[in-house]
Amino acid sequence: MSLERELEKNARNLVLASVNRVETELSSIGKVAEGVVNALETGRYTEETLKTLLKGTLEGNKEIYGVGAAFEPDASAARRRPFVPYFYRKDGQPTFASEDDFQFLTLDWYQIPRELGIKTWSEPYFDEGSGGILMTSCSVPFFTGSADIKKVGGIVVADVSLDWLTEIVASIKVLKTGYSFLLSKNGTMLTHPSKEMIMNETIFSIAETRNNPALREIGRKMVQGGSGFTPYTDTRGIKSWMYYAPVPSTCWTLAVVFPEKELFAGVRSLTITVACMGFAGVLLLAAAVVLIARSITAPLHVLADATEAVAAGNFDAVLPPVRSHDEVGKLTQSFVAMNSALKEYIKNLTETTAAKERIQSELKVATDIQASLLPRIFPAFPDRPEFDIFASMDPAKEVGGDFYDFFFIDDNNLCFLIADVAGKGVPAALYMMVAKTLLKSEGQRLGEPGKILSHVNNVLAADNDSCMFATVFCAILDIRSGEVRFANAGHNPPLIIDSSGTHYLALKSGFVLGPMEDTDYETERITLQSGDTLFLYTDGVTEATNFADELYGELQLLSALQSGPKDNLVEMIHSIRFEVSRHANGAPQSDDVTMVAVTFRGGESEQSIQRGII
Amino acid sequence: MEMQILKDAHATVVTITGRLDAVTAPEYEKRLNDLIAGEETGFVVDFEGLDYISSAGLRVLLATAKKLKVKGGQVRFANVRGTVKEVFDISGFGSIFQMDDSVAAALAKIA
Repeated sequence: MSLERELEKNARNLVLASVNRVETELSSIGKVAEGVVNALETGRYTEETLKTLLKGTLEGNKEIYGVGAAFEPDASAARRRPFVPYFYRKDGQPTFASEDDFQFLTLDWYQIPRELGIKTWSEPYFDEGSGGILMTSCSVPFFTGSADIKKVGGIVVADVSLDWLTEIVASIKVLKTGYSFLLSKNGTMLTHPSKEMIMNETIFSIAETRNNPALREIGRKMVQGGSGFTPYTDTRGIKSWMYYAPVPSTCWTLAVVFPEKELFAGVRSLTITVACMGFAGVLLLAAAVVLIARSITAPLHVLADATEAVAAGNFDAVLPPVRSHDEVGKLTQSFVAMNSALKEYIKNLTETTAAKERIQSELKVATDIQASLLPRIFPAFPDRPEFDIFASMDPAKEVGGDFYDFFFIDDNNLCFLIADVAGKGVPAALYMMVAKTLLKSEGQRLGEPGKILSHVNNVLAADNDSCMFATVFCAILDIRSGEVRFANAGHNPPLIIDSSGTHYLALKSGFVLGPMEDTDYETERITLQSGDTLFLYTDGVTEATNFADELYGELQLLSALQSGPKDNLVEMIHSIRFEVSRHANGAPQSDDVTMVAVTFRGGESEQSIQRGII
Repeated sequence: MEMQILKDAHATVVTITGRLDAVTAPEYEKRLNDLIAGEETGFVVDFEGLDYISSAGLRVLLATAKKLKVKGGQVRFANVRGTVKEVFDISGFGSIFQMDDSVAAALAKIA
């Protein structure tokens, strides 16, 4: 696992740095001892000068607790007894320890370097003689004699207190609660945060107490000068990791204990940091997504609201300004274009509609005017029992070209007429107005159908470049005798319903009224018997078409009149109108439908006879 | 209504089919007026295929004929039969127009 390797690397770096530190301290102490050795080997010292050297050395090296020189007993010399001048710190002052009877020859710090002939560091020990402290000694042998016959002259010893060592080791900061400890060559505790461990325990005794073979194995490796990174449960039972490495000059081992929690705290905090960063990243990303989405949807929302307003008919709704050239911008532009187009269209439509409505209302007025010109009140002459008359006109458009009229030209003569102006609509209606007015005035003046038509024709033809014309059937009924004088200007022949049945009236057709001057119209005569009916109609009746373009026709009209009601003129005309509508079967009415029916009820004398009989 | 216009040696033959009513009459009037304005003087109108004529149709026949007469031209109607003939008769138009039984006969008379 790379993480573990990384942790081990960090631990190793820390430990090696610490080892270096300890090593530097210790080797400087070694150097001090070696300096004294060098002085002894090259110079000649009296007892006094040697004391001065040692005292000076101690004074110049604060880290050293005590320094001394132990001389090999010399059989030949005066010095039979072991000679060991030694200065140590007592209350901070270099103090000479006179140990004349000090039997040092058997002690480790003397024995081992003497035998090996090299600098050694002793196992920790309790020194009773010089202040009674725990210490370890750096012992360096010095030699006497010539180059070929060298022999050990003694041992220069530099003592350091374990307290001082402990201070140095304790100064190595390991995480928060981690710590270091120093083991001697044999695995004895040199320094440890727990004072009671110092000198009293070895790595092996700890392994023994805990019954931990693995720790013993580690101890063996330590003693052999090995290094390693291993899980370790410290004396307080805290799960930890331990890195150990040798301190080369002393063959000691520096071990650093890292509490696992703290060791991984960095990792954990890193994990948490990474997680937090990840979470924050996700949040930021989400925020960014929301912001971007908003930046896209916000104008869309505004646009949607605006278009809703437009859809509701408010074309002045303010569309959002086009800020971007993306799809939303294009959409907005399109909407703006559509809105103005719609606005323009609605405006035009409104104007057109208004114009159309104006025309419609004008036409409605025209319809009313035209209708009011035709006699519409029935019975028209309630005080005239000699005849019945009924008429109707249904224009195909708002105004029509058909018309009918009836009026008395004197007490006994009823003029009635039906006419059809060529074409439909407003042109026909205008022409109809003129024709109707002329026919009535000339009718009353002349009293003779042929003359009436001839005169009206000449007036109409005077200025008639467009060749407008009207077909007119004009008749005058003498209500006393039943005699009908009539003239025809190209109009459809009327029907007569009399005792012999229903048939078309045979008549001279005559030319239509209007286009040609000096047209002659001949007056013809028939005499109606009481109960006879004349049925006048325009071609709107016979030329009514259905969707198959089939005409209603004269034959159907004839049979409808034959089978329909005959006595009541209102019923008669309504039934024919109904038949014509039925024939059209929903097809639009193409021409004005006009009908006039007149029934002669007999003269005054006849009427009284009839009444008498009844 | 459909109109077909053919130029013969001495006259223009106008064939009208379908209905000549208020809706189609203005087209007849316009085309005939154009021809008259183009100095055509002899016309034969063939009614063979005409099913229906209304008073508006009669009016344009009359208006164009009058215009032609002013210019010294003439128009003859051929094949006026059936319901169309009835309308002509009722309205009196039959007696004021020159009527022929066939286009050939009409053309012969113009020549």
